[in-house]
Amino acid sequence: MTALLLWVGVLIDLWLGEPRRWHPLVGFGRCADWLEQRLNKGSDFRRRISGLLALLLLVAPPVLICAWLMQWPLLQWLLSPLVLWFTLGFKSLGDHIEPIRRALEQGDEPEARRRTAMICSRDEATLEIERTAVESVLENGNDAVFGALFWFCIFGAPGALAFRLINTLDASWGYRSERFLYFGWAAARLDDLAGFLPARLTALSYALCGQTRRALRCWRLQAPQHDSPNGGPVMAAGAGALGLKLGGPTRYRGTLVKKPILGEGRAAACEDLDRSLKLLRYSVLLWLVVISLIQFVWILAAGVF
Amino acid sequence: MDNPDFSAQALRQAQVQMPEHGGRLRRAVAEYGIPLERWVDLSTGINPCGWTIPLIDNQTFMRLPENDDELEAAAAEYYGSSDLVPVAGSQEAIRELPRIRQQLFGESRVGVIAPGYEEHRYHWQLNGHQVERLAAEQIETELHRFDCLVLINPCNPSAVRFDQATLARWHQQLAARGGWLVIDEAFLDTEPQQSMIQPQMPSGLIVLRSLGKFFGLAGLRVGFLFADAEIRQMLSRAIGHWSIATPSRWLATRALWDTSWQQEARTWLESSRQRLVRLLEEALEDLPGSLQGRGLASTGLFVTVQIDDAAELAHRLAQQGILVRYFEPYSSLRFGLPGNEHEWRHLARSLTEATAAESQIQV
Repeated sequence: MTALLLWVGVLIDLWLGEPRRWHPLVGFGRCADWLEQRLNKGSDFRRRISGLLALLLLVAPPVLICAWLMQWPLLQWLLSPLVLWFTLGFKSLGDHIEPIRRALEQGDEPEARRRTAMICSRDEATLEIERTAVESVLENGNDAVFGALFWFCIFGAPGALAFRLINTLDASWGYRSERFLYFGWAAARLDDLAGFLPARLTALSYALCGQTRRALRCWRLQAPQHDSPNGGPVMAAGAGALGLKLGGPTRYRGTLVKKPILGEGRAAACEDLDRSLKLLRYSVLLWLVVISLIQFVWILAAGVF
Repeated sequence: MDNPDFSAQALRQAQVQMPEHGGRLRRAVAEYGIPLERWVDLSTGINPCGWTIPLIDNQTFMRLPENDDELEAAAAEYYGSSDLVPVAGSQEAIRELPRIRQQLFGESRVGVIAPGYEEHRYHWQLNGHQVERLAAEQIETELHRFDCLVLINPCNPSAVRFDQATLARWHQQLAARGGWLVIDEAFLDTEPQQSMIQPQMPSGLIVLRSLGKFFGLAGLRVGFLFADAEIRQMLSRAIGHWSIATPSRWLATRALWDTSWQQEARTWLESSRQRLVRLLEEALEDLPGSLQGRGLASTGLFVTVQIDDAAELAHRLAQQGILVRYFEPYSSLRFGLPGNEHEWRHLARSLTEATAAESQIQV
């Protein structure tokens, strides 16, 4: 049954995209900011505990309510594709990349730059547009698509919801800055944990849908140099699958951060924005087909025995 | 007509001028006050998207280089000849060849292509040979006066090319009187079918290759010399053991094995070259005194333009953060290939700015 609900959820996402008028994650983000301002103070240890507490306060209620609602089959059927849609950012990823591509094709560099800066935390003036956009597709493919799909398969709608909320908290608190080093610790570690398996499956599916051997080699050799345990495999395999050389020094809020080289080959160009989105789409399709097959075999086996 | 300046005696007394090279980015940073990471460095002809180096095992650093590793086999496969000696960059061969020639034949009359990479001229002079600079169009008529001819094909920085039939004829002429034809093929990897490397290297033909340009591994210091057994033996003896570091040998072997990367790089470099030629043609066509009847020539890794006010244009580009190589004697600028779209846009914008300012001044 999971596979069917999964298909419906993905199709709703492709059909409707991101909710335009009000996005529940925006409200969630406001709550998170509000809590952070009140709890993020005191000693290092206290900040660490407050961070964990805030995380539980924010994530547990919606996830528990969602799990409670799932006990009625009818609600499960109606609600879980909608929850999946809410946790997916599949269509919206493309919607954010498209204006960048269009601006690049029209030679409107400032517009492309402005649009790219909106989807990352890099300095607008110095960021490399094409590289940043492709990296963003690869990384968000994991955070906003495959992670949710994975946990939906394991724990249903509550699993996908929990993953997405933790990931959102990591995005707002998971920094190594003075302010967030301790308060964001719980969110960052939990996000690493929740993303561990999906990130590796994402990396594998990028490899299978692109230049496989190269992707696997880059994963093996380059991912360990990356400081994010989940971002490393995803980005290295994705860059290798596309035959692109990504990564390298990047400027965040005025400081130059040394980042390892990811992938190999030429530098990203305008056409690679579409190539990376295509890689993401094929990988999603691969996941849906494989999950459906597994479920099919499962049902057959259940019928036989 | 002997050139008195380059007579053996004059050379032993006077100091031979050491050539200057590119890679002066740090100097430009100070001079123009633009921070390092804002520059687009097009001053070298090195592949900006070079071969990506894998992680190197610690063990590799702890052992002395071994000559019977896989490097020579990998090179023989890539270059199509096993008549080779690995050298620490073709520079090592450039340094040793004039000495070997001196030992075998004594002082020789050597024609060196000009404009060209100056290290050749320098080392032949340093070893007491009579050296003359030769323009490409002089070679045919003047060749009879020389024992050795040193060419770069395609030539850096002029991008002049020599076809195989001509080279074979010149080699015949020189070899018949014990002479050498030395060809530096540093920029030939994008068009390997043009190479003069042969499965069995005939006597009097010496070809130099390197991993610096096409593979983008200039810092690795790995190159190869192709020649007959006698020269190979003398060179091996001259350079002795361990001249190439173990990690360099290991990495070079892997780069030479990676045929899929090589194919991809050729395609990518060719499209980049065409793009750079188009960009420069468009940007410079309106420039007074430029390009008319002269020009723009390219290899797989750089484009050289000869224009009247090359120094001024180089200066204006540098003010925009674009570093190109300026060759004063030939009034030309050499542009390496930009490595990503960011650099392409920066170059296009800067060319527009620089040339707009230029035409105002000229009027």
